[in-house]
Amino acid sequence: MKLEAQKYDLKNIKVRYIIYGIIALILMLIELLFINIISIENVTPDLLLILCVWISLAEGQFPGIFAGFTIGLIFDIISGDVIGTNALAKLVAAYIAGFFHKERNLKANLNTFRFVLVVLLSAFIHNLIYFFFYLKPAETSFARFFLQYGVAATFYTVLFSAIAILIRIPAKEIDID
Amino acid sequence: MQDFIKIIIRFKELITFTALTVICLSLISLSDASKIGGFRAFVIASIGKLQDAFAWVPNPAALRSENQALRELNLQLSTEVIKMRSALIENNRLRSMLQLKDTSSVHLMPAEVVNKTNVQMRSYITLDKGEQDGVKEGMAVRTDGGLVGEIVATTRKYSLVELLNNRHVKISAKILRNQIEGIIAWEGGQYLVMKNIPTSFEVYPGDIIITSNYSVKYPHNLPIGKVIKIEKEPGSLFHRILVEPFANFAGLEQVFIIEQVVDSEVFQLSKEIEERIKSRNIKRK
Repeated sequence: MKLEAQKYDLKNIKVRYIIYGIIALILMLIELLFINIISIENVTPDLLLILCVWISLAEGQFPGIFAGFTIGLIFDIISGDVIGTNALAKLVAAYIAGFFHKERNLKANLNTFRFVLVVLLSAFIHNLIYFFFYLKPAETSFARFFLQYGVAATFYTVLFSAIAILIRIPAKEIDID
Repeated sequence: MQDFIKIIIRFKELITFTALTVICLSLISLSDASKIGGFRAFVIASIGKLQDAFAWVPNPAALRSENQALRELNLQLSTEVIKMRSALIENNRLRSMLQLKDTSSVHLMPAEVVNKTNVQMRSYITLDKGEQDGVKEGMAVRTDGGLVGEIVATTRKYSLVELLNNRHVKISAKILRNQIEGIIAWEGGQYLVMKNIPTSFEVYPGDIIITSNYSVKYPHNLPIGKVIKIEKEPGSLFHRILVEPFANFAGLEQVFIIEQVVDSEVFQLSKEIEERIKSRNIKRK
């Protein structure tokens, strides 16, 4: 009986990871094809970062850092950016978000305002790292550029993360205790 | 041994995180953003095809901004057409008098913008012209207004243009009125910044900025923009000049590829010197 339950769990995890992969691909296409429609003064929300934070909070820190690294690396390759910048920024963001993972109370993490706050913290650190490498070859002042764009991008991402709160988590996976 | 495995299992997150961080930092130090070739050029071109398929999706903000720019341009052009006609006649007469070779016969290839990629402060456009049309890396791209950027990657049917509002871009430029040379860069925002102009030289709002004869990447005398504001930084010997680009980056739809590649030997030489200085600086540190 226990073995059956374990098999069921494993199958469930596989299905979830496949779904995350598909969502990541869709979000990458949105980021590359349609994000300009909602860009304000060159500032765009980072939808992939929201997904990485979501995976960290829903699945834990270990799967989260793998997701952050993989998603970031693929996005670096297809977007023409310096390979490793998005991977590193998303890896760190997912690692930080992973500290807030609560296996027994997913709803409190994912369906409440708490998720937005975790995204805010992760996005801030993500952008801090990303803009550090982004501005490395330039002579521009980091503080000025980050305050102008990094902070704006953080809040724009946070705004979109509020939409993710509305996604319903299957009843089976919430409030186990 | 078991204790060691236990420690690894206990700190697996931290160990994996550290390992992946090292991989990322290695990749960053090894990659060169200014070179997009091989597999990545293929991936970007494939995305270009997808972007081409979705080009019908309207972008109201870009359309509004393009309309406004076109209206302004129309107004300017209508007043300048008459001036230009008389100037052309005068120019031809003077050229024949001096027997000068016509240097303005640069071939322009019209191209459609199939997409603008503006993700996380990186601005590129994809054009529907590629290697099969004779497009090469290093060719400059402009609109009827002015310089737009440089082709950084090509595939058979598409090419990728790095716009001027990009952190890597540094253009050797000059003020048309007094021929003073400086460097154009982008530091964020809608304006470009012209540096290295000593405060002893007078610069006025409205001065036209063009590419310099010393530019190793762009053909000379291409219009870039006009001076909007001159800032004096306390303690600095140089002006900080804000330049409004003539090209409207938000609403690019049709551009011209300048079918002229700057002498690769000159470019190679300047790059070698840059690298030598860099390595000398690293040794000193």
